[in-house]
Amino acid sequence: MRNLFAFFYRYHVFFVFMLLEITAIGMLIQTHHYQYSRFASSSNSWSGQILEQFNNVTDYFSLKKTNRLLAEENALIRNRSLQLPTLEENIYKNQHQYISAKIIKNSYNKRNNYLTINKGSMHGIENGMGVITDAGVVGITRDVSPNYATVMSLLNKNTIISTRFIKSNHFGELIWDGKSHQFAQLKSVEKYVPVNVGDSLVTNSFSNIFPEGIPLGTVNRFERDENKNFYTSIEVALSVDFSNLNYIYVLKDKLKDERMKLESKNE
Amino acid sequence: MNDILKHTIRFFILASIQILVLNNVQISGYINPFVYILFIMLLPPKMPKAIVLILAFIMGFTIDVFSDSYGIHSSATVLLAFFRPKVLALVSVKGGEDLEAIGMKQLRINRFFTYSGILCLIHHFTLFYLEAFRLNEFFDTFLRALYSSVISISMMILIESLFSNQKSR
Repeated sequence: MRNLFAFFYRYHVFFVFMLLEITAIGMLIQTHHYQYSRFASSSNSWSGQILEQFNNVTDYFSLKKTNRLLAEENALIRNRSLQLPTLEENIYKNQHQYISAKIIKNSYNKRNNYLTINKGSMHGIENGMGVITDAGVVGITRDVSPNYATVMSLLNKNTIISTRFIKSNHFGELIWDGKSHQFAQLKSVEKYVPVNVGDSLVTNSFSNIFPEGIPLGTVNRFERDENKNFYTSIEVALSVDFSNLNYIYVLKDKLKDERMKLESKNE
Repeated sequence: MNDILKHTIRFFILASIQILVLNNVQISGYINPFVYILFIMLLPPKMPKAIVLILAFIMGFTIDVFSDSYGIHSSATVLLAFFRPKVLALVSVKGGEDLEAIGMKQLRINRFFTYSGILCLIHHFTLFYLEAFRLNEFFDTFLRALYSSVISISMMILIESLFSNQKSR
């Protein structure tokens, strides 16, 4: 027994090292475990409060630009409201409720970016909701606390968004390679699909996170190899400027449960 | 000044700089400087190694919570703390036992540069590869880690030289 203690004492530094390292790697691997990641993320209440306080100060620097963007959006909405929708459109449009929120922590220079917003479960936000601005898709909500939520940005290796070309309706998957916050990559586009520089991409209705037709970006550059079935690379210029985000909308899909119930019958 | 107080203040200052300023800085799309590791580098050489490891974990975890990186900073910082005595042995005669504190004043600039440089490279490469977590971005991640290390080391040496100059006056 004494030998055992002596052994532990002799290598105690190594054991402490292994213990802490395993804890840290465990956190990394368990990130999809909801309860845990909620505690260790910036949506928890005290870290959220600190970030919000800091954001209150830095907000003043961008007031002018934010005002201009909001005014532009107001004008757009005013114009749209002049054209009355048909009844059928109205039902479809009402499927989604918009919850506006402010970003209190933005990040776009890492490999995996997360944003923090100042609304949470008290305002009806849940895990897995789409987040957009008037320019296009921003990301998907992830951890939610009563007053805050984190958003997995489009600029994250775990985000895959299914898209379609406006012109041809062909399908593709948008992912981010971690190089520039202005460009993302489009995968799984078969080579017979006509692609031109400047083609617009929007969300399609396959997933139940985003409604159909939210803009994502335009094709900036593409490469094609005749020997392969898919395009080797398509670079997409993102329509959202991630370096300048202030206010976003979280989309609450009122018919999500109904759709999921129906689709689960097939499995 | 009381040593414990000094290190506690340094912990909060470096963590705040990292969370509130440097996490929001973007340099040419590639580079992320991390200077909070200076806290671990400057802990007294006579401090028990297990305590250094635990402090490294606390520091890494704090940064993790505020930047939503889920354990990446914790594991990289703990690894840095584990290699600290070994690197210290490289740059000092008796493995750091003869030093009262670690800093630019005690080690002089060239040895301090080696010391912080090696530890910073260990930390940054662990960090960026854990963050990417896939090998098909090997070269991009390598460049990111390398450029960021250069910026981090320069910033740490700048901070440390300002700090130690003030004290000697």
